[in-house]
Amino acid sequence: MSNAASNALPAYAELAATSNFSFLRGASHPRDLVLAAILQGHCGLGLADRNTVAGVVRAWSALRSLREERLDAAGASEDLRDPRLAAEIRHRAAAFHLITGARLAFSDGAPDVLVYPENLAGWSRLTRLLTQGARRARKGGCDLTLDDLLADVRGLQLIVMPPARLGELEQPLQRIADAAPGAVWLGASMWRRGDDRRRLFRLRDMAARAGVRLLAVNDVLYHAPGQRDLHDVITCIREKTTVAAAGRLLEANAERWLKTPDAMVRLFHDAPEAIAATGDFLQRIHFDLSQIAYQYPDEPVPEGHDPQGWLEYLVWDKVKARYPRGVTEKVQRLLDEELALIRQLGFAAYFLTVHDIVQEARRRGILCQGRGSAANSAVCYVLGITSVDPDKHELLFARFLSTDRGEPPDIDVDFEHERREEIIQYIYERYGRHRAGIAATVIRYRPRSAIREVGKALGLTEDVTARIAGSQWGSYGEDIPDSHIAQAGLDAGNPAIRRAVALATRLIGFPRHLSQHVGGFILTRDRLDDLVPIGNAAMAGRTFIEWDKDDIDALRLLKVDVLALGMLTCIRKALDLIRQHTGAAHDLASVALTSEQPAGQPVYAMLQTGDSIGVFQVESRAQINMLPRLKPERFYDLVIQVAIVRPGPIQGDMVHPYLRRRAGVEKVDYPSPRPPHPPDELRGVLDRTKGVPLFQEQAMQVAMVAAGFSGAEANGLRKAMGTFRGDGTLHRYETLMVEGMTNRGYDRDFAERCFAQIKGFGSYGFPESHAAAFALLVYVSAWLKCYHPAAFACALLNSQPMGFYGPAQIIGNAKDNGVTVLAVDVAHSHWDNILEPAENGLALRLGFRQIDGFRQEWADAIVRFQAEQRAIASGARAVLTPPTRRQSNNPPPDMQMLQQRARLPRLAILRLAEADAFRSMGLDRRAALWVAQRLPDDAPLPLFLATATPEQAEEINQHLPEMTLGEHVAADYQTLRLSLKGHPMQILRPLLPGALTCAQCNKSRHGAWARVAGVVLVRQRPGTGNAIFITLEDETGVINAVLWARMLARFRREVMGARIMDITGVIERSPENVIHLMAKHITDRSDLLERLNGDIRTGGPEAVLMHRHPRDVRILPGSRDFH
Amino acid sequence: MRNERFANAPAGEVAAAFRAADAAYQNDGTLFHGADALHHGARPPRRRYLALWFPFLPADRLRRQAGVSHDAGDIAAGDEDRQAAPPLVFVAPVSGAMRLVAVSPEALAAGLRPQMPLADARALAPALWVVPARPDLDDAFLTRLRDDFGRFTPLLAIDPPHGLVLDITGCAHLAGGEAPMAARVRQRARAAGLHVHCALAATPQAARALARFTLAAREAPLIVPEGGDRAATARLPVAALELPERHYRTLQRAGLKRLADIIDRDSASLASRFGAAFPALLARITGAEDIRITPERPPPPCVIDRILPEPIARQEHVEALLAGLLREAAQRLERAGEGGLRFTALFYRTDGVKRAVTVSVSQPTRDPALVGLLLRERLGALDDPLDPGFGFDQIRLCVDETAPLTAAQSGLPADILPATHIMEAGQESINRLADRLMARLGPEAVLKLCPRGSHLPERAAVLRPARLATAGAGWRDLGPEDPPARPLHLFRTPQPVEAMDAAPDGCPLRFRWRRMMHEVAAAEGPERLSPEWWRALPAAAAPPQGATPTDDANTLRSTRDYYRVEDREGRRFWLFRPDDAGATPRWFIHGLFP
Repeated sequence: MSNAASNALPAYAELAATSNFSFLRGASHPRDLVLAAILQGHCGLGLADRNTVAGVVRAWSALRSLREERLDAAGASEDLRDPRLAAEIRHRAAAFHLITGARLAFSDGAPDVLVYPENLAGWSRLTRLLTQGARRARKGGCDLTLDDLLADVRGLQLIVMPPARLGELEQPLQRIADAAPGAVWLGASMWRRGDDRRRLFRLRDMAARAGVRLLAVNDVLYHAPGQRDLHDVITCIREKTTVAAAGRLLEANAERWLKTPDAMVRLFHDAPEAIAATGDFLQRIHFDLSQIAYQYPDEPVPEGHDPQGWLEYLVWDKVKARYPRGVTEKVQRLLDEELALIRQLGFAAYFLTVHDIVQEARRRGILCQGRGSAANSAVCYVLGITSVDPDKHELLFARFLSTDRGEPPDIDVDFEHERREEIIQYIYERYGRHRAGIAATVIRYRPRSAIREVGKALGLTEDVTARIAGSQWGSYGEDIPDSHIAQAGLDAGNPAIRRAVALATRLIGFPRHLSQHVGGFILTRDRLDDLVPIGNAAMAGRTFIEWDKDDIDALRLLKVDVLALGMLTCIRKALDLIRQHTGAAHDLASVALTSEQPAGQPVYAMLQTGDSIGVFQVESRAQINMLPRLKPERFYDLVIQVAIVRPGPIQGDMVHPYLRRRAGVEKVDYPSPRPPHPPDELRGVLDRTKGVPLFQEQAMQVAMVAAGFSGAEANGLRKAMGTFRGDGTLHRYETLMVEGMTNRGYDRDFAERCFAQIKGFGSYGFPESHAAAFALLVYVSAWLKCYHPAAFACALLNSQPMGFYGPAQIIGNAKDNGVTVLAVDVAHSHWDNILEPAENGLALRLGFRQIDGFRQEWADAIVRFQAEQRAIASGARAVLTPPTRRQSNNPPPDMQMLQQRARLPRLAILRLAEADAFRSMGLDRRAALWVAQRLPDDAPLPLFLATATPEQAEEINQHLPEMTLGEHVAADYQTLRLSLKGHPMQILRPLLPGALTCAQCNKSRHGAWARVAGVVLVRQRPGTGNAIFITLEDETGVINAVLWARMLARFRREVMGARIMDITGVIERSPENVIHLMAKHITDRSDLLERLNGDIRTGGPEAVLMHRHPRDVRILPGSRDFH
Repeated sequence: MRNERFANAPAGEVAAAFRAADAAYQNDGTLFHGADALHHGARPPRRRYLALWFPFLPADRLRRQAGVSHDAGDIAAGDEDRQAAPPLVFVAPVSGAMRLVAVSPEALAAGLRPQMPLADARALAPALWVVPARPDLDDAFLTRLRDDFGRFTPLLAIDPPHGLVLDITGCAHLAGGEAPMAARVRQRARAAGLHVHCALAATPQAARALARFTLAAREAPLIVPEGGDRAATARLPVAALELPERHYRTLQRAGLKRLADIIDRDSASLASRFGAAFPALLARITGAEDIRITPERPPPPCVIDRILPEPIARQEHVEALLAGLLREAAQRLERAGEGGLRFTALFYRTDGVKRAVTVSVSQPTRDPALVGLLLRERLGALDDPLDPGFGFDQIRLCVDETAPLTAAQSGLPADILPATHIMEAGQESINRLADRLMARLGPEAVLKLCPRGSHLPERAAVLRPARLATAGAGWRDLGPEDPPARPLHLFRTPQPVEAMDAAPDGCPLRFRWRRMMHEVAAAEGPERLSPEWWRALPAAAAPPQGATPTDDANTLRSTRDYYRVEDREGRRFWLFRPDDAGATPRWFIHGLFP
């Protein structure tokens, strides 16, 4: 397309374009529509998705990128990289008029209307209208009628889209034309349906009668005719049918794409005025998304202050409390710099809002901590948003606000997961629902879901698609490689499968629906729905806006992330317990102060041995293995520890170089470029990590320093890294970076590793600022575990579910650390686990919450009963009689009294009995259960108390068999998921002659053969996938076994299915004393579980088809599997 | 025939049961209850029950259908041969997730269990043959098995899941005793390709428990000697009681693991914990108390007999008699609110020869005249006409299949009815015509055009047997003011025409077809139809190298632009131009408008 040709193009703009944000209706990304329209020589584009404006920012951003000649960011393919063409595109993009609106599909059967705002007021009118429709409907729906639209049409231009039967158009068209005189257009399309001309003439007549203008549109569903097959597929997905069965639900032809203006003129040669109308229409629209004037709310600023002044006042006021002994020169300098920058960028209000939320959390006693680029600033430390002291810790705040990025600061605040909802409701309350909303997350098709849905639409069997989908070990990825198909046992060359995979690959990255962001709040000074439509979330009482993080960034709206973190709940509960039982008051900051104490500190000593079960972030198997190698001895080591066991450094093969350098085996050096480039240019970047890039920021800085990326390019790389990889822009930077670095004289291998690491970050970014925030929680939780093991275990149990380990492991570890653990008992336990004074300090008493299926209201009633009994006991003789030999099978009087006073249903008593909680009444599990079966179903009303008891006929005590230890342990695991009486393997040990215990195994020398049997705790196949890690547990501890993937075929059944595994293999002992059992042979010994319980099963292997008792099948809690 | 098979049986219960059953059939067709039929006989002997359990019924069914049948009694050997066969599992969505509901022996050996999520099963056995569960087909198969096992005893019932129980009291000696009888039953099941467990005991419950919960019942029939039930069942696990899960757990927790542990317990104490019915259940399973099975053999919904003292032979007499039977059937059906879909007339000749004639209708009916007409048509169309010989001494009319039919108002004046009703009435008379034609010509001979969802004209309709065809829905919906978009007559193969003066993107002004020149007076179009890309596999979709554009079959594989064209004489044609890469556009005629 040359310049000359573009001059001769007739002026035409497609004003009815549908993108794939009209979920399962449009088959092109917004950016593809924009680019295609520019290439075809259109003078503008109207993007109107079905009842939403979710996609308009994407199109707007793409156009902005094209104007700045950032073709990659706009999704242009390689062949458009010709500089002359790029210049032409930029030239056209500059004049291109993108208008944004929505296509209203009414629920009252009126024809669709495309609504385009003329100005900012019109935009607000449209977003309010969409808000109204979305709030009225269920999640994801929109319920609007024509009346809603016509109630106020000021500032709007309306294009009425004719329905299939024109007879239904006349009357509504007249109504719309009357309601909005001069602003109504009638869209006419020529789709080659046979009767196009007849329709066109009828529409022209109707338009004339109604006094509106005819407008040529092609009602575009995709940018190029080649998208027809994909459109057919998404239609089938939407209609839940297959292409073969869909019939006339599909379009008859592939005409609904962005045709050239010439072609449109030819199609409309009977009505040239309709083509001309498109230009006139564009003239009417003066609205552009850049006009959205965003005002930050000014709540946190008292009358008479400006935000910056108030922020500075707060900082200088609070700095005295933070640094009672005076501010160091360094902190003073940092604060001055940061405040200057905040003033320059005008972000004071943002910091004040975060401060306000954090203050509120503090007032309610909710623990919180900030992280993110801006969070590690001195300002945030002084304001109490974080607890990482910039004076003590040498952290690089490189990502903190930079003037050239011009992007809003990023502060995420983590709150206790059980109480975050309070904060969310506080924000709604403080700013009002009309001014606060949660951002959306665009849920997109990923390889797994794409192949599933495409396969279904193409009529492949569930079996085949599930295999292809199942062969993906992760959910993310850009395409579905042939090797994965072959791995699933399917022929990658099979045309049907190839077609399904090809279509699925094209579908990947398409938006599926909008969901609410985990906690990103948008706050405004004025009404939020003037800016963006608000819809209902699936969760009651939640609303979210239609734009996601990227859109918000693009429009420069500010967002506060209010996130939930389980460990904060645990830490708060542990600190409360410590205060309650010892009187010592600690908080995050006070504990953090101890983190830089001299070496040899017990907290680091504990971590160095790998004793980290329950500790935040470093409790996974990989982290536990890393601890003895890394040997953290100061706070910054924890920052590295958190960041190093991540896909980024692992994929970039940066872990081992770092460990070697840290151990002093390898010399620390910095890769240097060829002269004339400064040889030390990377030293400043990689100094803290011994010359090895470990953090996301470092990888970015390497790109800028060593590959010569411009600020914009680095920013694009960062975005490509952070956003969903399906956008497919990341690989474009690969050549740029690797070539850039090699051209400057860097080793190609180093360059490729750096980029591999960036790719790894793509799926799991871990910047240093986050690592530092997390490292603090690592330190605090390790400190609790080290100094207050009982309180820590108790708090961990009370915060479940969280972390890697189940109650059994947490309690086992606490016992190993000398904590006394007491069983659940009806006379002592509360709902939560509690601490009780014991001879050797504090003992942990298990609570009723550990009992499967127990309810908190039952527990609370029991606690009231306990208090009542204690009150009576303090006045008179104890009522809870000491155990006596029982002669009767009737429920003992105290059990009956418990049921009656605490008003418990029989089910509650049975649950207690099953959990063996009646020991204090002298009943063991079996006896308690047998007698409790005789209780009435529900507690009788008080009036009948007197009469209820005698109804029970005396039952002769019948002897029941003694319950074996094995049965007790099995029953403990079934009801509590743990046992204080013993470990299953301890009981089964005699049945496993010759097997070593885990402890013995862990003491074996390197290279020795060992056979060990244990309960499977975890099985894991990390991303690289060449080994399977299995953790076994027995009464002495755990052992980590490794099975090479090539042996998986032989032992698949055992590896995937066994609850108890018997592994024979060779011990491998690393120099740091990390022990692995390299599995050579695996046997499934799950059958032993039946022996444990003394179960009887006859009938041969088929008997399992009849013996089907779900609880029976699950004697042990399932292992945690990650694959 | 039945009487022949049991000819040498003593006048014992079997014969009595058959007589009672036949009597019941003849009387009013109500369901026959075995227990009610046993009023006579001085003292019933101790009853004996054979329980069968087919642990892999769905898998065995599928393998039978797939033709992988086994030689008689050779399942064990077959198991070894099938080591290489992929594990077969049946899946169904259970609360949102796909779970296994049945497995094959190979799958069981691979560690797959019912209730396991499909994803877990795949992790265990990547090469998995996954089939959607079809409990309806399993039930149908089990029903056929039940009917087949009726050869051993008339008293048998389905014992869900996947089992049968046969009351063989008094039948065993026909096979030479209980052991040979059980062996023959087992042999028959295995010959049908079924894995089977069987046990013989004094109560159905004991037999069932032993068949399903002992290893002994797998390799050979387990036969409990008379009076040995208690001893045999005492060793069973309490799971054999098949209690609700919470009761089962209570027993387990109490350490009561085998039936022996509870048989002697105080029944009041058990009843207070496990419900009032528990002691009786225990008594039945241990053989202490018997409860009969209810045999299932549903008779046809409506059977009417005429037994004639004097045989009749003349056609008009036969027809008159049939008409009477039909009227009676109509009354019965009306009382039941039903209409018949299939009617069978049975003619019993005095010399013992029996003829059956069946007619079907597409809509349920109870109109005696209609059915009579159809029967006459069918009788008239028989290849070997009904030969009365020395006359029929019995004629029976069975309504084999019924469907609910509510009373409909008839005889309303047509002008007050809505148009849809008239349409329906028209449809009804077409159905009647089709029924008659089918009765005369056979069901496959009458075809009907049915809509098929496709934009392509050659695929938009399909011929189906009229009986299977659905009513009018699914045709293209046109506005009342629109002219027909598609021609009434469509050529099977489009015929090339010579077009003249065609604009590059428009319709020809003149064209020659069958050596006739047509001047185009009016044209409308184009209607562009793209090929159905999904029907060609990607490899085939690529244009084959060297294919000539003149290949007429290919024209239907490309995008076509259709025009409705009228010539000066008022004839209307459907022309199209395929979008092939040829230099000069080619034109074809595909149909004619009326």
